[in-house]
Amino acid sequence: MSPAAIELRNVKKNFGLAEIIRGVDLSLAKGERHAIIGPNGAGKSTLFNLITGKWGVSAGSVKVHGESVENQKPYAINRRGLSRSFQITNIFPKMTVFENIRCGLLWTMGYKYSFWTLVNRQPKLTERTNEILEQINMSSKRNEIAGVLTYAEQRALEIGITIAGGADIIMLDEPTAGMSHSETDYMVELIRGVTENKTLVMVEHDMGVVFDLADKISVLVYGKIIASDTPENVRADVKVQEAYLGTAADAEY
Amino acid sequence: MTVAKESSAVTNTRMPWFNISQAMPWIMAIGFLLVLPVMFASGSALTIMNQMAITIIFALSYNMLLGQGGMLSFGHAVYMGLGGFFCVHLMNMVEYDNLWLPLPFLPVFGGLFGLIFAILIGSFSTGRAGTVFAMISLGVGELIAASSIIVVAFFGGEEGISGDRTMGPSTFGLDFASQLEVYYLTAVWLVISALAMFLFSLTPIGRIANAVRDNAERAEFLGYSQRHVRFISFCASGFFAGIAGGLFAINFEILTEENLNLATSGSILLITFLGGVGFFIGPIIGAIVFTLLQTVLSLYTEIWQLYVGTLFLLTVMFFPYGLTGLIAMHIRPYKLGKISMLYQSYLRMSVPAIVCILSLFSLLEITFHARHAAIGEEQMRLFWISFNSHSILPWLVVIALALGSGWMVKSLAPDIKEAWDEANYVGPGK
Amino acid sequence: MELVVVNILDGLVTGLLLFMLCSGLTLIFSMMGVLNFAHSSFYMLGAYFAYQISTYTGFWAGLIFAPILVGIVGALVERYGLRRVHQYGHVPELIFTFGLALLIEEIVQFFFGSNQMAYDEPHSLDFTAFSIAGNAFPAYKVFMIFMAMAIFMVLLYILTRTRIGLIIQASLSYPNTVQNLGHNVPLVFMGVFGVGTALAGLAGVIAGPVLGTFPGMATVLGSIVFVTIVIGGLGSLWGALVASLLIGWIQTFSASYHVVFSDMLESIGFTKPVIIEDSMLRDLWTLTLSQIGPILPFLLMVLVLAFRPQGLFGKRES
Repeated sequence: MSPAAIELRNVKKNFGLAEIIRGVDLSLAKGERHAIIGPNGAGKSTLFNLITGKWGVSAGSVKVHGESVENQKPYAINRRGLSRSFQITNIFPKMTVFENIRCGLLWTMGYKYSFWTLVNRQPKLTERTNEILEQINMSSKRNEIAGVLTYAEQRALEIGITIAGGADIIMLDEPTAGMSHSETDYMVELIRGVTENKTLVMVEHDMGVVFDLADKISVLVYGKIIASDTPENVRADVKVQEAYLGTAADAEY
Repeated sequence: MTVAKESSAVTNTRMPWFNISQAMPWIMAIGFLLVLPVMFASGSALTIMNQMAITIIFALSYNMLLGQGGMLSFGHAVYMGLGGFFCVHLMNMVEYDNLWLPLPFLPVFGGLFGLIFAILIGSFSTGRAGTVFAMISLGVGELIAASSIIVVAFFGGEEGISGDRTMGPSTFGLDFASQLEVYYLTAVWLVISALAMFLFSLTPIGRIANAVRDNAERAEFLGYSQRHVRFISFCASGFFAGIAGGLFAINFEILTEENLNLATSGSILLITFLGGVGFFIGPIIGAIVFTLLQTVLSLYTEIWQLYVGTLFLLTVMFFPYGLTGLIAMHIRPYKLGKISMLYQSYLRMSVPAIVCILSLFSLLEITFHARHAAIGEEQMRLFWISFNSHSILPWLVVIALALGSGWMVKSLAPDIKEAWDEANYVGPGK
Repeated sequence: MELVVVNILDGLVTGLLLFMLCSGLTLIFSMMGVLNFAHSSFYMLGAYFAYQISTYTGFWAGLIFAPILVGIVGALVERYGLRRVHQYGHVPELIFTFGLALLIEEIVQFFFGSNQMAYDEPHSLDFTAFSIAGNAFPAYKVFMIFMAMAIFMVLLYILTRTRIGLIIQASLSYPNTVQNLGHNVPLVFMGVFGVGTALAGLAGVIAGPVLGTFPGMATVLGSIVFVTIVIGGLGSLWGALVASLLIGWIQTFSASYHVVFSDMLESIGFTKPVIIEDSMLRDLWTLTLSQIGPILPFLLMVLVLAFRPQGLFGKRES
């Protein structure tokens, strides 16, 4: 049996005295589409950052494809085939859309730190960049400076950069944040298309998106996972209902 | 969406090896360099042009760090200086120890020496960007500059190290005794270095260096270690600075502690920033303008450094994109065909603006002269007029001129703003 | 033994002086994230202002008014210069303060010329406080020590015990929150910059008579100040104190003992070459401790950076 795509065992994270993640166990199979939900302040972004290498764990282990990655640098984890998007749009604002995507391809296409090739003269690179642009429907905007795109376009570009490298574990941090209904629907289709045959992990607040895309949902409350099951079972779980309805502050849904 | 068919038509998967329109600026620049000494043939002109060329290479190498890598260094002079010192020693070895090294190849060794030190120092200094990097570069720069007084064997102490460039094996019958020969050698190296640095920015590492500059965190998630990327940029930058050092050695045949110190590092920062860090051509323009200011202004006034310093500070505050940025601002109106509108408003403003600036200059010059001229020396000469700097009349005249023209500039300023808005306006009507 | 005591005291003077500069710099850096490259220029302004005032009314008026003047200049610089550049990020801020340093040096030279000014210590302090083994220790230096320590105490008190100090400490980490609580953070910034530069100016007022008042005085001290706070750890006041004293003592001790490296090397077993001039390593053989004294701080900085990059007491991620 092949190892889980991502495996967390008793992961803990403290910032000073504050315990943010208080013992999380999670196992994600290859090709699974998994959503992590939970009230604000539950630690979803922190968990994300622990898996993707932005922060090291205080205790516990994080494994990607069966290999330990806790406390490794982001680029090392990325090279294992894990890629992430950011909640606050994190693109390269001064470059064109085309160049943004191309940057996402350079490492995985083997260019690494080379200074003996010119990026403009690499037909395979250009072709692949165009393919990705196609996938996210941004071909017509290829020469626009990324900084002047609309918010939704930037989010789409963000997804494009994330998947460009061909990572097989895609982690999206609130991909539909701040979007209208139609934009959200569009984004859901986009995500579905680009993450075919890949493992998808999402942090999301929009329940519609979650139930649309996810095979499994984990609910994170105060640094612990209180439920991890299929959408229907999670919906019906009493503990989850308490967590959401019991806390009156979450009036988003 | 029918974009699929269009995009494959747009893609040039087969690119010509040599693209004439991209090469044009370079061809023109080469032509210009060839012709320059014919236009300005005097010895001093050649010296200035050589100095400019060396400064251009140095500034371009600096911009690999600042403009393309986002790394501010206060100690870049050491790489040029070290490369230069090594080259002077090589020149001496050619002269006294029968080392066979034709002069044209000397800058390569300067570059390699600069590269070695960049590797050494970059190994611990490029871990962090921003303020920490700047401070480390300052400390290391001062360390090496201060060490130069102590390590007399290599740095020559107070007098520096000097050499003779004409002692090498003759290359194509040239011994490089004449300034003209040195000019062409420098020009060849200028073209090679500038082209190399330009192409570097178009390589994968060059592009990723830009990405790391803009968003280091994101770049890490593309598989790149920001530390490695910065390290490579740093080493490349040190290499080209070393080449500039080698050319300096050839040109001036002497290197001193001055080539390593904070003042030199600071001046290249000033030059590059003045020219514009966001453009490849920025440091080139900065180097040319600064060298001109330095050589020309210093002939006319003792306080030219005050002017340059003020200009620099104003640039940081109001034109952080530098002179090139100022020029680049005009591209859009030009493309919209509205550039003439701008020129007209500039023209109207030009007379009061020039008068205002010149009267402020005069005020400073008179004040300076009044305070610092030798006792008894009361006459001074300004714009071909002789007058007594201690009497009240010149002061009144200059202050009145400054105030008057200043008031006119202020009242014309809204016109310029309006012209700018007009010139950039893209839309219906008008 | 007596020489050691003299060196300890001398080093204390240097170290405390350095600390006066570093403390203002650290305050500004912790507060605003900007490393004020022109900090030693304000130190220079303090000396020059005090000199000018002292030509009219004597030293003591200068001691009081010069730092205030410098602080005002600093506050204006923050308000009309730095604030404008702040939006572009830390690197442009640093470039701005660098340009400012350049300009201040030029302006000082414009008004005062390039010669050293006759700025002397006041007559009332112009005597020998005590002697140690024949070495006279001037009363003025005692005065310097007391001033510096007094400033440190006042600073510590203000930052930890008063309301304004707490607000400053809070703005350090969460400026937006503090602003939302109704405090005028831009005003606080301006105030901190003003106080920081006033501290530097005060250091200039006090040090001017001893270290000399000339246009190059900012550059002479400038790099040492930065090296000191890097060693101490950017953003740490205690680190600045420890590092300043350390550097002060290193400088003083290295300058007063005649240690020749050839002796040390020979004692380990190396033999000195007969004709030193021909040896490539001749500088090493003729090296004395007092020669490398000036570069020891930089060497120390490189070592600290290699083995403990956050500095001795550093905590702030810049």
